Amino acid sequence: MTRLFALLAALLLTIPVAVAAHQQKITISTVSHNARTGMLEVVHRVPLHDAEHVLRARGVRAPDIIDDLESRRAFARYVAERFELATEKGAFELILLGTEIEGATLIVLQEAPSPGPAAELTVRSQILTDVWSRQENRVNLGSGTEVETLIFRAGDDFKPARLPG
Amino acid sequence: MRLIAFFAAILLASPALAQGIQQTKGDFEDKFRQLDEVLAAPNVYRNASGAPGHQYWQQKVDYRIAAELDEDDRRLSAQATITYTNNSPDMLPWIWLQLDQNIFRKDSMAELTNTFGGPGRRGPAVSAGSGDTPARLSMEELRRQQAMEDKSYGYDIDAVRAADGTPLEHTIVGTLMRIDLPAPLAPGASTQFRIEWAYNIVEENTIYARSGYEHFPDDPRPGGNDIFLFAQWFPRLVAYSDYEGWHNKEFLGRGEFTLEFGDYDVTMTVPDDHIVSSTGVLQNPAEVLTAAQRQRLAAARTADEPMFIVTPQEAAANERTGPSGEKTWRYTAQNVRDFAWATSRKFMWDAQGHRQPGAENETVMAMSFWPKEGGELWRKYSTAAVVHTMKVYSRFSFDYPYPTAQSVNGPVGGMEYPMITFNGPRTTLNDDGTRTYSESEKIFLIGVVIHEIGHIYFPMTVNSDERQWTWMDEGINSFLDSVAGYEWDPDIQWTRSLPRDLIPYMTSNEQVPIMTQSDSVLNLGPNAYGKPSAAYHILRDTIIGRERFDFALKEYARRWKFKRPTPTDFFRTMEEASGTDLDWFWRGWFYTTDHVDISLDSIYRLRLDTQDPDIDLSRRRQELADEPGKVGVRLNREQNLPIWVLENPGITDFYDDNDQFTVTPKDRKKYTDFLDGLEPWERQVFDRALKEDSNYYVLNFSNKGGLVMPIILGLTFENGSTEKMMIPAEIWRRDAREVSKLLVFPKDKRLQSVVVDPDWETADANIENNHYPRRIIESRIEAFKSPDPTSRSGRDLMAETQGSQE
Repeated sequence: MTRLFALLAALLLTIPVAVAAHQQKITISTVSHNARTGMLEVVHRVPLHDAEHVLRARGVRAPDIIDDLESRRAFARYVAERFELATEKGAFELILLGTEIEGATLIVLQEAPSPGPAAELTVRSQILTDVWSRQENRVNLGSGTEVETLIFRAGDDFKPARLPG
Repeated sequence: MRLIAFFAAILLASPALAQGIQQTKGDFEDKFRQLDEVLAAPNVYRNASGAPGHQYWQQKVDYRIAAELDEDDRRLSAQATITYTNNSPDMLPWIWLQLDQNIFRKDSMAELTNTFGGPGRRGPAVSAGSGDTPARLSMEELRRQQAMEDKSYGYDIDAVRAADGTPLEHTIVGTLMRIDLPAPLAPGASTQFRIEWAYNIVEENTIYARSGYEHFPDDPRPGGNDIFLFAQWFPRLVAYSDYEGWHNKEFLGRGEFTLEFGDYDVTMTVPDDHIVSSTGVLQNPAEVLTAAQRQRLAAARTADEPMFIVTPQEAAANERTGPSGEKTWRYTAQNVRDFAWATSRKFMWDAQGHRQPGAENETVMAMSFWPKEGGELWRKYSTAAVVHTMKVYSRFSFDYPYPTAQSVNGPVGGMEYPMITFNGPRTTLNDDGTRTYSESEKIFLIGVVIHEIGHIYFPMTVNSDERQWTWMDEGINSFLDSVAGYEWDPDIQWTRSLPRDLIPYMTSNEQVPIMTQSDSVLNLGPNAYGKPSAAYHILRDTIIGRERFDFALKEYARRWKFKRPTPTDFFRTMEEASGTDLDWFWRGWFYTTDHVDISLDSIYRLRLDTQDPDIDLSRRRQELADEPGKVGVRLNREQNLPIWVLENPGITDFYDDNDQFTVTPKDRKKYTDFLDGLEPWERQVFDRALKEDSNYYVLNFSNKGGLVMPIILGLTFENGSTEKMMIPAEIWRRDAREVSKLLVFPKDKRLQSVVVDPDWETADANIENNHYPRRIIESRIEAFKSPDPTSRSGRDLMAETQGSQE
């Protein structure tokens, strides 16, 4: 709790919170079973500029996601911390594969051996909800056209989902 | 909230139901049903082609305001004489004003309905408790609560009087105020009244607002300095329109503004070391600027690059010392729908004249105001981006319509007003005292300046109703800011507003249609900015084509310049000016939540039979021979099972020497009869078809996403050549789920493979089913991990398990 206060206080001193255009305050994560590889694939899309604000909130003085790999890795780890998956057996260990930049979006990729299609999961995405109350995170389960969407806001608990095939 | 939004979405998305027209048998859905029953009925004010009608009218409101800033108390006091002209055909017994500052009252509707940790909330992070997790307040939320306790915010309305000084009855309803007129205001008549008010200015970073002050405690002056941004700072007339009468919609924070045009004459009295940036043109430079500054301002009109009007040294000196008194700045503006300003002793100021030969304002002063915190980032790029925006946007609409275009750095991330915009990105102070900025901060600054200056065209001039429809201005503006961005530097990654960027949003099953009232939209960014922008990119580059799309967009801008368009007017104008029926497109993209996924399910190759048994039957024989042998027969052979005919070679007859494909005299007779039976023209057609022996293919498509779109085909032939063809969306008009298409190619062009939407133009969600024959499409992660990755930029392999970095 103290840590949260400290981080948010740091945020407060350094960043103006934008209220209008260009602040997206949305992330979209896709969780899908890859039948070819037998892996569970997790792909997060985060607006680049929002990502830099988070790093500043976490004490990075001059974050630079595009050109400074350490900044980027710090943010990828933050995303990995704030996104949780679990099965009946407990928390799901995802490997943080790395990141890519696509347009003004940072892509964070994770994977783990898949529990298989139709597996019952619980999911929780709290990426950036500690920074902006308006943050809305979408988690799409499945790929392509057949997608089940869960929406997360600050404080939301785990939500159940079934992994499409 | 979500339920209501969803319910509204259903109502909007099922107009046929609302109209009492229903498909009561079967499940046919007419994706091409014309929108007439959904759009507003044309009338004398807005005609059926989407243009202002022959009796179009709008109100006019002129303001004369004197404002005074009490810097120490952070309080603004002002008085206004407002002249309201009733151009409507209606008698008006009262007048409604918007008291936007009242949103910060503790009892405001916005404050009372602010859900804790809920959707669409403006303000600091909080998290609601759930399960075993306790609810949490952040430090900022506590600070906000304390600030709301310590001071009262919202307007203090001190007097409302008629021109002759008699008090006028007035009633305050949240962020609105009704003034009862002594006598109803007749059509064509004007009335004048005076209002005196004051309010405590909110700290932008604490209260979370679109304006307010920002404090800099570390500045050299004892007690520090402030930047003040003034917007929604005076009682503004509520719009009165032909389609809604008075727009009595409470200000809840997100739905922006619906406003009237008018002329402004405003004086601002501020500490004498402040620099004021404002909507309009400075009328008394001799009283507020030094002689050197006035000379620089004159020189900047013809400069080829930005010149300082207030230098960094002058700003630094102002920051150190205090004021010796007050100064009054006077700005006037004609035909604007709003008025905003900024003031601080921290501002430096640069300017450059932008020339538009033949325009009403032949020289526009592009100007920026920023504190030292803006640094080199602002010096290099702010005013340059203002000029660039005008160059690009004017090509798509009209000459920039005002004499100034300004970018001001303050606590607000990005917000637009006539002639003035507030833009947030800044440099970072390093330990060694230098200031630097990241690449994405640079992209953000240039992008936000283009976007906010772009808003001076849409909606400051093309005055769409933001309170109802965020997408109307944000969609066009996001589209044009991406066009302007790629014309600034095509190698910079600007945008999330191309069709391919919107796929993850458009496939999600929790979303609302674009046609949703601003305060009810879920995920405003992708809904009101990204998705309409993607739609316009598709219309421009794929469906209509650049020339006709640009013509139509320009016509929309021209028709509605300084007027108030509705969604209906936009949809109709784009159709009419481009000469394209787009009802299906508006319906799918703006009125539903469908996404695009067209699958190429199968391709059949056909070959014309010659009817000549000597040819056709041998072809049939060959086809049979090409079939795989029967498995059971093969296994029998492998088991060396005895076969009767092989064991009895002596017993044969006619049928052992002739198979079913042997040509008989009967077959030949039938062929001759067939030829004899043909009419001369049929014979001609038949002979030619046989001679050409073309390749016939039937392609079977299914629409899995729901949105009907053109089918764009990338065709690859066995001879290595490729072709691209587009089948218009109207192919789906009889069956929106499955269609087949016959393609014919010459004998030497045999299809090898086909791909739907080869250039990713249409936001097609599933690429795998676009290919025929199917091919393995690597997942994002497979591509990322492959030793020879695709050209995606900035790959960084980490391969860490969680916690491994602690």
